[in-house]
Amino acid sequence: MMNSMNDASVSQELQKVFEELKSMFGSCEAVHIDARQYKLIVPSDKTLGMLTYLKSIGYSHLSIITCVDWIDEKKFELVYILFNWSNGATFLVSTFIDRDRPVFYTVKDMWPTAEYYERDVHEFFGVEFEGNENCKKPLMLELWDDLPPLRKDFDPLQYSKEHFPDRTYEKDPIHEARIIRGDIEGDIEGGEIDG
Amino acid sequence: MDKIEKIDERGVWEKIADQLRSRSMWMLHYCTGCGAVELPPSMTSRFDMERLGMGPMATPRQADLFLVTGYLSTKTLRRVIYTYEKMADPKYVIGFGSCTINGGIYYDSYSTINRLDQYLPVDLYIAGCMPRPEAILNAFTKLMDMIRKGEADGWKRYNENYEWYKQNQLRSLGEVVVYDEFHE
Repeated sequence: MMNSMNDASVSQELQKVFEELKSMFGSCEAVHIDARQYKLIVPSDKTLGMLTYLKSIGYSHLSIITCVDWIDEKKFELVYILFNWSNGATFLVSTFIDRDRPVFYTVKDMWPTAEYYERDVHEFFGVEFEGNENCKKPLMLELWDDLPPLRKDFDPLQYSKEHFPDRTYEKDPIHEARIIRGDIEGDIEGGEIDG
Repeated sequence: MDKIEKIDERGVWEKIADQLRSRSMWMLHYCTGCGAVELPPSMTSRFDMERLGMGPMATPRQADLFLVTGYLSTKTLRRVIYTYEKMADPKYVIGFGSCTINGGIYYDSYSTINRLDQYLPVDLYIAGCMPRPEAILNAFTKLMDMIRKGEADGWKRYNENYEWYKQNQLRSLGEVVVYDEFHE
């Protein structure tokens, strides 16, 4: 972080940015997180415009694209985290899309790294990014055949039980107690291979 | 469960070979999970596994021992099975940490397996999260002892029960094929 930038001058600069954003994009809700972090909630049709504008004024480092599943509101929240290297400020640009039809637009032409973040979000939440032709390629989960696993209606324990057999333990408390008391030597064992 | 006395089926030459094998072990330097952080202290000067006659090896073709350090996601398990099958006989597997025993804290994860011995024959487990380097060295000496006695016969079991292991692998992984889009 730059030494010359103190919190006061950063907040002045940010106020200027907010005013410009307001004049360009109309209503834009800004949530204060701390002196250098703000969350901007924008409608989905204005998101790409706002990202382009923020990139052009120095918020050019895309830290991550991530997603939140608001299952009760039937919405996915996409969050783009933009960082400015000259004053150390961060904007979280967030937008809500329909959970039943999760389609959005790619930003990989602005940030080439976005391709991988978008593939990640597609794999774990099922959001499709139009324009990213590699979006549907498997990245981390190979041969996945279930709901995207970070959706709230996916049950990981159930999936684990179905796919990955568990170890069964036969407990012999008397034997264990004799080992603990020192009557016999040995390991407290369990989980013999039952295959 | 009663311990069944195992009959030593080895011939004289194999017994001699096992004596020699146990004194020159090469551990495959392949780190699957967070357990990998315990390997540098075990290998370097403080705990120094070379005084046991063991060394790290970079390629599976020349390694004897596969130390599976920690949790295995399905993606990693495919690579681990590939690597294990590439190793030359005789080969030994140590399951390291509670994740390989019963899934550990990832018991309910959608992408990590719960029991390593369903997919690969494990000769020895080290319990703990994490096991300290002392435990690793303890396991190494125990494994060497097992090799001398002919008890570390996981590679034979894998050959004999190949169908069973393969069936388990296919059941959990769908298909044991490694796709690598970066080297296509």
